[in-house]
Amino acid sequence: MQAWIDFAMGPLFAFSLGVMALGLLRHLVLQLDTLFRRKRSRLKYMPWNKMLHDSLEWALPVRHLTSGNVIFSNASFVFHIGAILVPLFYAGHIVLWEQWLGVKLWSIGNGFADVLTVITILAVLVLLVSRIAVPRLRAISRNSDVSLLVLILLPFISGFLAAHPAFNPLPWQTMFLIHLLSAEALLILVPFTKLSHIVLIFFDRISEIHWQLRPGAGDRVAETVLGKEAKV
Amino acid sequence: MSELELTTDRTQRIKDVLWALTFAGLVAMLLRFVFGLGATTNLDDRVPWGLWKIFNMISGAALATCGFTVGFLGHVLHLKPFDRMVKPAILVAFLGYGASLFALLFDIGLPWRFWHPFVHWNIHSFLFEVFWCVSCYFVITFLELSPTLLERLGLAKLRGVLSKAAGVFVIIGITLSSLHHTSLGSLFLVTPQRLHALWYSPIISLLFIISAIGGGLMLLALIKTLHSWWYDPSRVFGGTMVREGVVCKTCGGDSENGATPEGPDLHVVRALVTAGAWVLSVYLLLKIGDLVLRPEARAALLAGTWESVLYVVELLSAAILPVLLVLIKPVRRSPYALAVTAGLAAFGLALNRVDVGIFGYFRDAGELYFPSAIEWVITFGVLAMAGLAFFFIIENFSVFDDRWKRLADSELKFSSSFDRLTWVWNHRLMTGLERASLIALIVLPLAWITLYPPFLESTPPDTRAPLAVDAARDTLRIDANRDGLDAVFAHTAHKQRLGGEESCVNCHHLSMPADRATPCSECHRAMEAETVIFNHEQHLAWVAEDKELGGWIPENQSCVECHSGQARSAASAKACMECHREDMHAVDPANGRLAQFAATSYHSAMHNTCIPCHTENALTQNRPELDRCTTCHQFGVPEGLEENLQMRELVEVRIRRQ
Repeated sequence: MQAWIDFAMGPLFAFSLGVMALGLLRHLVLQLDTLFRRKRSRLKYMPWNKMLHDSLEWALPVRHLTSGNVIFSNASFVFHIGAILVPLFYAGHIVLWEQWLGVKLWSIGNGFADVLTVITILAVLVLLVSRIAVPRLRAISRNSDVSLLVLILLPFISGFLAAHPAFNPLPWQTMFLIHLLSAEALLILVPFTKLSHIVLIFFDRISEIHWQLRPGAGDRVAETVLGKEAKV
Repeated sequence: MSELELTTDRTQRIKDVLWALTFAGLVAMLLRFVFGLGATTNLDDRVPWGLWKIFNMISGAALATCGFTVGFLGHVLHLKPFDRMVKPAILVAFLGYGASLFALLFDIGLPWRFWHPFVHWNIHSFLFEVFWCVSCYFVITFLELSPTLLERLGLAKLRGVLSKAAGVFVIIGITLSSLHHTSLGSLFLVTPQRLHALWYSPIISLLFIISAIGGGLMLLALIKTLHSWWYDPSRVFGGTMVREGVVCKTCGGDSENGATPEGPDLHVVRALVTAGAWVLSVYLLLKIGDLVLRPEARAALLAGTWESVLYVVELLSAAILPVLLVLIKPVRRSPYALAVTAGLAAFGLALNRVDVGIFGYFRDAGELYFPSAIEWVITFGVLAMAGLAFFFIIENFSVFDDRWKRLADSELKFSSSFDRLTWVWNHRLMTGLERASLIALIVLPLAWITLYPPFLESTPPDTRAPLAVDAARDTLRIDANRDGLDAVFAHTAHKQRLGGEESCVNCHHLSMPADRATPCSECHRAMEAETVIFNHEQHLAWVAEDKELGGWIPENQSCVECHSGQARSAASAKACMECHREDMHAVDPANGRLAQFAATSYHSAMHNTCIPCHTENALTQNRPELDRCTTCHQFGVPEGLEENLQMRELVEVRIRRQ
């Protein structure tokens, strides 16, 4: 078991981190390429002010949390706080970053990390139930939207249990291995799934979808994304 | 299905593989420079050259001879079917020599000094001559190729000048090529005691150039056939090639007689293979003559060793089978059979060079040389780069045909409409940078973790247990690395001199739990590397049992028994002696913490125990001989080492006194 943990913390971690970093870099380069090479002639028509405004507004989407599906929106917002802070700044992870990347990050306290983790897990559960149970959300959910949420649950739950032996129903090594493997699976999936919005979110505001949809393109969006006519 | 989609289909898989090999090769090249030749290759003083020099360089250069042979047939003699193959032949020569020279950069120890033979002449070396000819010939092939490249890039004036000079280039190229191919053979002429009798021949230089000419023509025939298969099967394979829903426009032919109409370019392939076979038949006669006239070669062939089997396979593939096959009329009419013939001959030629350079050469090294993973990956990485360059050049310049002119207009225009994901995947991702980068992001990390030397470290070999076995003897002979040169240690004398039983702890600093006679090698397991001696997994269970922990799974509760602080790492763990106060023995209980939970190498464990005490006594007792290597190591101390160390010591002593 220790050998598996060593492998997962060594070569496998290097591999998944490499795939994620190179994959995101690739998205970045291709987006910039599209933007500057293929659209140079149209750049002057770009609504820079609106793009900046939208980007800043979505960084703290207060307005969007009070309308529409309020529960879903808020769960999503809360989920992102935990999903960003805990993997990066949990004390146990900082050792890992220092070992592999040579950077010393600040640590959030273990107690705060525990609270955040529980909140994140609850938020994911809310998102999951909404996507399955609410008809409107279900209609625009792809299989990957649901399965990715399940996959995201795994490292959070296993990490929490590995750090809290009292609640842990499995041997520590088993739980830790589940934590490592599920987190690494997520890292590898980042460039190939919608998780790539880690980088692409910054291009959403300047992508063609946002500022130069053709008239009537909205109907084709649903068709393209879902592969069928949406009944919303 | 349009022609465009068909052609991308046939080369796409090959290009994918080439991209993957290229990226893996890039990682291996980086690792070779970071870690050096010793750590990344299986080469050493007894096997000083391997895959890169023999396969990439010598086989590669041999296979790329078509540049000057076809140049001679087409440009100088103006022979009809060959003049059409001059441009492809020059491209193959350019890429072949380029790849050979590039691979050589990784083979030489100080690659940034590759230009030294240009300046520092060693006129007694065959390799000096080879280097000059190969590098000059590479430049010549580039000059020969440049009119083709300039055709698309403009610069008509320069192109005109270069085209006019083509004849001169061809003649210089022929001279340089014949010189270095014979020299590559002569290289082995100076090593009769190493090269196996089957391959060592007084006419080896002649054999080298003749086989290279024949095999080079065969390779060009193979490439021509493959090119046709990829881009326009009707050229070589004829009009009835209907496959995978491809409806061929030139399917007319003599369908009543059931005869397949010949492709319009098949006669070019046939001419190349026939010419190659003629040359190879001369080669075969020379080989047979060589075998007949040298009794030691005959004896070696009949000896039934694996070298004789290899020799037979090589000769069958390189000469006998190609020559016999070409004599058969249906073979000469079938593009497939011609391709197989050409492929056999090219393979046999490459195998011959590997036989001469590796299999027949390193018998006396005592061990079979097998290239390391990094050697393989760089070898194929370099070849893949040449392959990608080949595809790029033939698709964008008029080498085989004017395809790029036809395709320039029909290129896929970027569409700003909202694309279906599947369309994006199949079309935009299927070509160019997007696809190559997709391959890169899988292959680069994969190559890194599979080739990175620290990940590959196997368990270091165990050293002999010197203490437990020899504890009762007066004098210990310590030879942990078993090189036959032992260090002499007067154990009993040391014990008496230092104060009897109580002095044991001076050297024996720590024992295994519940063990008082732990041999040094129990923990210092590797000669030069650290050993991890802490078993974390077992400690979970031991601690849980010892402290009688409860809970669902007792082991899970044991973390906090040793680790304090937020992050549970080696740094936050307790010192060993805090728990093992009773059953472990340490010189200094407070210092019983194991640094990094690893034991130092056996070498430093011994030296760091003996030398400080000896150095101190050499000074205090004014007995400088105590501090000499030869005090313990009676044999095997390299000359000059002592003086260097003593100089260092003197400086250190002077600093200490100040």
